[in-house]
Amino acid sequence: MSSPKIGFYGFTGCAGDQLMVLNCEDQLVDLFGATDIRSFAMAKSDNDDGELDVAFVEGSISTEGQLEHLKDIRKRSKVVVAIGTCACWGGPQAMKLEEGGYEERYKKVYGNAKIEVSKAFEAQPVDAFVKVEMKIPGCPIDKTEFLSAVTKVVAGRHPYFYSFPVCTECKWKENPCILTEGKFCAGPLTKAGCGAVCPSHNIPCVGCWGPTDDLNVSAEYNLLEEKGYDADEIIKKIKKFGGAVVAKMVKELSAKKNTKEGGK
Amino acid sequence: MILKMKKEDLSAFLESAKEWGELWGPTRKGERVAFEKVETLSQMDLKATRTIIPPKKFLYPPRFTMFDYDDKGYVERTGDVPNRILFGIHPCDVHGIQIMDELFLEEYKDPYYAERREKTLLLGHSCIPDDKCMCFATDTEFIAEGFDLFFTDLKMFYLVWVGSSRGHDIVRMRPELFSRDIGKDDIMNYTEYRNWKSSQFTSKADFTGMPDIFELGYNSPVWEELAEKCLSCGQCTMACPTCNCYNVVDEVDLGTVEGTRDRFWDSCMFREYSLVAGGHNFRDSRADRLKLWYTHKLQAYIGEFGKPACVGCGRCVATCPVDINVVSVSKALKEQEVGK
Amino acid sequence: MKRLCVVVDDREVEENPYQPEMWRIVRRYPLTNDVNFFQARAVDVDDVLKMNYRPGQFIMGSVLGEGEAPFSISSTPSRPGLMEFCIRKVGTLTETLFGLKENQTIGLRGPYGNGFPIDKMEGKDIMIIAGGLGVASLRSLLLYVLDNRDKFGKLVYLHGARTPGEMLFREEFMQLKDRDDLKCILTVDKDDTGQWTEREGVVTDLFKELGPIDAKNTFAAVCGPPIMYKYVMQRLVKLNVPKHQILMTLERRMKCGVGKCGHCAIEYLYTCMDGPVFTYWDVLHMKELIGKGVSDNVIA
Repeated sequence: MSSPKIGFYGFTGCAGDQLMVLNCEDQLVDLFGATDIRSFAMAKSDNDDGELDVAFVEGSISTEGQLEHLKDIRKRSKVVVAIGTCACWGGPQAMKLEEGGYEERYKKVYGNAKIEVSKAFEAQPVDAFVKVEMKIPGCPIDKTEFLSAVTKVVAGRHPYFYSFPVCTECKWKENPCILTEGKFCAGPLTKAGCGAVCPSHNIPCVGCWGPTDDLNVSAEYNLLEEKGYDADEIIKKIKKFGGAVVAKMVKELSAKKNTKEGGK
Repeated sequence: MILKMKKEDLSAFLESAKEWGELWGPTRKGERVAFEKVETLSQMDLKATRTIIPPKKFLYPPRFTMFDYDDKGYVERTGDVPNRILFGIHPCDVHGIQIMDELFLEEYKDPYYAERREKTLLLGHSCIPDDKCMCFATDTEFIAEGFDLFFTDLKMFYLVWVGSSRGHDIVRMRPELFSRDIGKDDIMNYTEYRNWKSSQFTSKADFTGMPDIFELGYNSPVWEELAEKCLSCGQCTMACPTCNCYNVVDEVDLGTVEGTRDRFWDSCMFREYSLVAGGHNFRDSRADRLKLWYTHKLQAYIGEFGKPACVGCGRCVATCPVDINVVSVSKALKEQEVGK
Repeated sequence: MKRLCVVVDDREVEENPYQPEMWRIVRRYPLTNDVNFFQARAVDVDDVLKMNYRPGQFIMGSVLGEGEAPFSISSTPSRPGLMEFCIRKVGTLTETLFGLKENQTIGLRGPYGNGFPIDKMEGKDIMIIAGGLGVASLRSLLLYVLDNRDKFGKLVYLHGARTPGEMLFREEFMQLKDRDDLKCILTVDKDDTGQWTEREGVVTDLFKELGPIDAKNTFAAVCGPPIMYKYVMQRLVKLNVPKHQILMTLERRMKCGVGKCGHCAIEYLYTCMDGPVFTYWDVLHMKELIGKGVSDNVIA
């Protein structure tokens, strides 16, 4: 069996996920040996644009040019894997999703300056535009999780990702729940996979792995409100890494709250 | 067999016991109380009420490898577990381990649990209840069996229950530290200790009538109300000494068909838990998932074994950020109202 | 360390109950678009002799690197040596399994579960009612009863599928319908071929062809989609078949098969240990057993 042809591509993001791939020091040689890496602009110079078995895509999509490139990747790849929170959910640049006002925000930053590159739009995750077979979230991705997924894809198997929130891993690390201490922790909304790094150092989870599979946004919202946080802060923080999924839920929640208050 | 030991001799005793295996005990770092490997008694906090997760972590770790496999088949991974002495286990947790013993060691004996159980010495220690302790309501506040040794702190000395032959072997390492000389005063002191302990509880836990009330409340709207609050974070199940659910996943080595079959703690609070291939989910709603857990702990288990699968340790009370726990749920079902 | 495969009634204390043994896929062919028939033979001959099972039991099947899942056994213990399975491609594991070729190996362990209460069923009339993939476990019972025909009373086999193309083991069952030692009636919801020679309609329509039945002396085994359960149960209860003699096999997520992983728990029962065969009475008083719809509003 010939080794699978794979490619790595980066869009709007910090390239930290590709860096993490290169950082898989001990396994990097094996990875390059087990696969045929056709394109990895960050790691090598002779890249081609041929057919791929697996394309790994980092970053959110925020310009017409990127979208065109993404569609081309999709067309020539059997499997597209979103790597990193930006590609999977949109990342912090997508935190204003469902709020509108993109034009004003754009103006605020760039004024009337004429921008010669491709036209920009509100950043969105990769699967907002093309079919994505798999998501490997993380900010940046976790080496172990990434390698576990890649080895399975190479072996023709299906990767497995924890479906539960980071709270579960946090308990495995034997940390007391910082939410019960009244701190702002996004753990219950956040996908596990990081090994609960931050809470293990007594730093609340900011949600950088993106939303877990089974969210209860309104319960988290009510809890934080009860702990004394104000509505704007809560929404801002839970939308930071929540991307399209959480944005939609927050919108529904706000609508529900407004009707309730309007009805009083 | 009950022996007596001077309190100041404990340190020397544990030092000698280390010949049997690694010494583990409750340690504290801020709010984080956990069983950790220690060298001396002084590193332990014997006043700590409960560890964040129970000693089940020694008997079935959060994640471990069951098999190594290649195209020839699956090869069991056992034999790499060290001998460990757990010092400072409280009665509730010993009760919890007994419940897990029934599950893992009876029919279809689990070799991974069995090996760890075999290599773990349980040295219990009496405890001081706090406001979350509710072992009085589950009849687990004292313990008569299931440990190797149990130390009851009676101020000047320990009464040491010897619960197993191997516990006795540990005593025999330093026989000069123990005495059989138990007199009238000791009995009175012990009685006083029991009464004192029983008077310390402030929790309002009350599980009487639970099987019937659960049956009656099967369709109660209380479950939906609880589900609205529940974050499905899984903390309660990770922290519960009688939660045993696990998931299994195969890992593959890069470029081969070899790898490992790993097992990790799972929770019935997760949507994936009852999901079958094809997409049907037997417990898609959060309310159904909550109902399963509480029904299992407080109704079904009582029906089957005559006692709840709750040992009253209070960990779900301590860890749930939205106050869903055996106390609040049983109260909500009785009063048909979810408390604030 | 190599451990022995499990024997139902002669369990050794020290074996690892999670240990899969390697079996070779000796035959594999499609039954329908998305359902394949698998026939497997143990790599180690000793494992063949030890795989001693009852109709209605299941095994845990492993695909290297993909994982493990429960599968009903479709073959009968009265024809030892080979294990047969009827598997629908529904998830990640079966997708990978369908990628395996004849002569490749899979891991099997078991058998698990209670299976059908064959001892109690002997001497009684047997009704087997299968819908869709429900035949996966009922074929084992049907073949077992046919192989031990003199031990049972009258035998009725009713089988419903959506279309002729979706009827599993169609050719095999067609050959049964002319036998005089059982009544085998096949039906499809809709004949989309124009070639179908058997009944058209739902399984419950076939009840009118049964004639008088000795209800108290009958065991009915039912497996199919939830909607079928609902209507078939109503009919059987109406016919006065005792609820504890109506048997159903249920499906749940399972990770161990031996009552440890918790996934298949229903109140104090484990589907893997106390099931997968349950009686209609179990279903009525264990609310969660089959979910909403089947046992609703049944008081009498």
